[in-house]
This record gives sequence, structure tokens and C-alpha cells, in this order.
Amino acid sequence: MSTVMPGRQVDSAIVTGRTREDVFVGSEIIRHRRASRLIHWSVALTFFIALFSGMPIWSPLFGWMAAFVGGLETARIIHPYAGVLFFIVAILQFVEWMRDMMFSSDERGWWRPSTITRYMRWEHDPAMEGGGKYNAGQKMFFWAVSLGALAFLVSGIPMWFPLRFPPILRELAYLIHDITFIFFVIGVVFHIYLGTAAEPGTFRSMTRGTVTRSWARLHHPGWFRKIGGEDRQD
Amino acid sequence: MTTQPLEIIRSSASVFGATTGMRVKPLVSKYIDTTTCIGCKACEAACQEWNDLRTVATHQEGTYQTLPALDAEFWNLIKFKERPANDGGVMWLMRKDQCMHCAEPGCLEACPAPGAIVQYSNGIVDVDATKCIGCGYCATGCPFDVPKFNAKTGKMAKCTLCIDRVEVGLEPACIKACPTGCLQFGTKDAMVAMGHARVAQLKANGFEEAMLYDPQGVNGTGVVTVLGHGHPEWYDLPVNPHVPWGVRLWKQIVRPIGMLAAFVTVLGVFGHYTTYGPKLPPDGDV
Repeated sequence: MSTVMPGRQVDSAIVTGRTREDVFVGSEIIRHRRASRLIHWSVALTFFIALFSGMPIWSPLFGWMAAFVGGLETARIIHPYAGVLFFIVAILQFVEWMRDMMFSSDERGWWRPSTITRYMRWEHDPAMEGGGKYNAGQKMFFWAVSLGALAFLVSGIPMWFPLRFPPILRELAYLIHDITFIFFVIGVVFHIYLGTAAEPGTFRSMTRGTVTRSWARLHHPGWFRKIGGEDRQD
Repeated sequence: MTTQPLEIIRSSASVFGATTGMRVKPLVSKYIDTTTCIGCKACEAACQEWNDLRTVATHQEGTYQTLPALDAEFWNLIKFKERPANDGGVMWLMRKDQCMHCAEPGCLEACPAPGAIVQYSNGIVDVDATKCIGCGYCATGCPFDVPKFNAKTGKMAKCTLCIDRVEVGLEPACIKACPTGCLQFGTKDAMVAMGHARVAQLKANGFEEAMLYDPQGVNGTGVVTVLGHGHPEWYDLPVNPHVPWGVRLWKQIVRPIGMLAAFVTVLGVFGHYTTYGPKLPPDGDV
């Protein structure tokens, strides 16, 4: 019989979630283990530092953002370092999630415009029944972020050290950096929206690490079946 | 950059910003006659002295030229070019290189720091080092490769057309020092008229290709140059300079599209939430 120690009890889902995922703990399911969550937030943090130091340089409309990093001159200094850190943690993220992000053949239905329209209207579509831990849209976002991180780095280097590169390469770098950023902004706005207000219960999968059974059944039925959700009665 | 804020007509990264244009002065211009330049470099020395620039170590490349290119602490450079002439001899071409003070400055267009590059109503384009963030975009925007990075200060630097002298009615230091009169200073109209007269004189004296270099791709410059031979490239000048297409595409098309896309996306997300609300499981347990 164990001793009861008030104040020392650690939530069992939190303990399990330190190292394991895709397992049931009581009424919850561990969706993201601690390493995944820490990597995700490292990517998010470095992204936002790069965003707040990059946007005021991008356009004077966002000059106010420079205040968060100490002014435009400091923005120019820290932006490339934040960018390199972002790239490094994006590699970790890539390794952590790559296997779960491979497209599978039962996801082809996701690419039909009718399916996407139904998804956006929160309607059901048979194509959504399959899939793995992540749906096709999440996978696409993952690959876009990974490729985008690479494009940011490659185009960012001539912008960081402009005098070491010929002007034509600098011009090209500005364009690539800007176009990558446009796709990033669109993707990140959708990502934050879907992960918070739009799909309740999702945000805590990245904080506490867990989701509920009904959340899993609704959003990722294929994953829910695969980890044995339909057979369990607890 | 000194104290002429009332005369600023254009300012980097600003719609209004530091732009006032409250006091209007006539356009000014340098006049450079390459046919009477003797390559004495007095203008180089005068520029260094007046602007208190550090002595830059010279660079021997087998020519008379002081440095291969302009430097953050060397704003005025005589370029020496040698070409075989038709009579079997050698043409020794000398041209004073410095900021051209474009009417449409590519540096100013590319600059992301509000007010770091300004254009005054008299046409002078100037860098405000206190606002410069040292990103080097201006070097990419310049069709003449003029702005240079000062690694010691982290700022860009270039010829100011001696605005601190011009403002009080003096000619720029380089002009003051010229012993042959090949450098002159005055209103743009007067300098262009002088240039055309000199070109006509040269043509009448056997230099049929003589021309006045005042490139219209950048709407003319604050430096008009008489070229004895109508080939700007012989003098290390671009034939048809303009703000680089990449910079224009980036600033004038890609960036506005990006801003529109960002705003539309954010608005779209709010529109979606107000239309469809959150996605909830049938039993409501999230």
C-alpha cells in the first residue's frame, strides 16, 4: 500500500506522456509525447521571433513589431540567428514526425475539391474515414513547413551576407524569401485557427499531450481504430 | 545627413514619414567633363578631407586607379580605363565615379528602414546613418554599385553631394578642388545646358560620338557626365541603368500581394468561424 503524499501526486497521463504516445491513460489518449511537444513549441517560438524581427523589415506597416525585439536595428541583427535556430529545430521536427507524415493511398480522396469543401463545412465525407495519425491537410502543412524552412535558409544566407553574393543572386533571394513567407503566413494562420478555436480539444494535445476518445473518433478515426480505440470500453 | 528635414521629398520605407517637401529648392547637379579631366585625383583628396574619411589603403592593380571600387570611406574615385584607339595608340579614359543622385533612386526604393535614405527637393540622395540598419538592400537596389557597407559602424555610406556645403551656398568639395574646371556645380538645367554645349563643341572637333550621360532609366541623375566617346561602358558606366527588375518585382508586386494574402487569410478565418463555428464531436466531449 502506497503512502499518500499530498501535493506530490503527479497526474498519470502526464507521466506516461513523458515518453509514450498513442496509448490510453484512463479516459484520455496520449497524442504527443513530451519530446514532440517541446520540439513543436521550439519551432513555434523561433518562428515567432523570426516573424517579429522579419515583418518590420518586410514592410513599414509592421514596424510596430520591431518594438518586441528592441527596434529595427536589433531586428536586423537577431532575425538571421532566429532563422538559423528555426531551421535547426525544424530539422528535429522533421525527424520526429517524418514517419507519421508519409502520404498513404487511402488519402487520395482528400484531394478532391468536394472533400475539402465538406471538410471546411465540418461535414462528413467517406474519404475522411481512412488516414493515419494525421490527415492529408496536416501532412501537407508539415511538408510545406519543412520545405519552407529550407527555402528560408537558402535564400536567407545571401540576405544575411549581401556583400559576399552577386546582386542578381540577392534579388532572387529577396523574392524567394518573400514568396516563401507568403505561403507560410497563410499556412500558419490556418494552422493556429484549426489548432485552437476551430477544433476544440486540439490545443491541449500540444500542451498536456492528451486528447479525448470522442475527439480522436471525430478527427482521426483511422488512428483511433489503429490504436485500439473501438475495442476498448474504459 | 545634416539638418534639412524641411526639404525631404522622398523617404525610404515611408508613405509620408519624414517626407515634408515644405521647402522647395531647384534641382542641382554636378557636371563632369571626362574630356578635360587630367586624373590628378584632387577631388578624391578633397572628398576625404571635407568628409573626414579615414585614409583607405590603396590597391595596386596595374592602373592609376586608387581603389578597385568605391568604399564606405572612399566616396569619390577616378576610374582609369585604357582602350586601344583606332590610330594604333591608346585611349586613356578617366571618369570621376561617385553617387549619381538618381531622380529615381533604387537604393531608396529597396531600403526597409523608414527615413534611412532620403531625397531632398534639390535632388540630393542622402543616407541617415542613425536610421540605417545595415541590411545592404540599398546596394542591391543601386544600378551603379555605389552604397558601401562600413563594417566598423554597421552602416552604409556614400557621397552626400556635400549637402552640408550645398546647403550654405558652397559647391561640393570635389568641385572646389578641381584644377582644370572639368568639374562644375550648379542647377541641373544649367549643367545640362553646359553639357550640351560642350558635346556640340566636341562633335565639331572630331568627337562625333560625344554624348551627355544623364540616364533616363532612372529619370536622370544629379551628376551629368560629358563622355568624349558615346560608349558609357568604356567608362565603366551602365548603358541603360534602371532600378533592378528583381527589386521592383519584390517591392511593388510580391510584397503587396503578400500583405493582401495575409489580410484575406486572417479575415477568411474569422469569416469561417462566424459561419461554421467550432467542430465538435456529437457527444460534445472534448
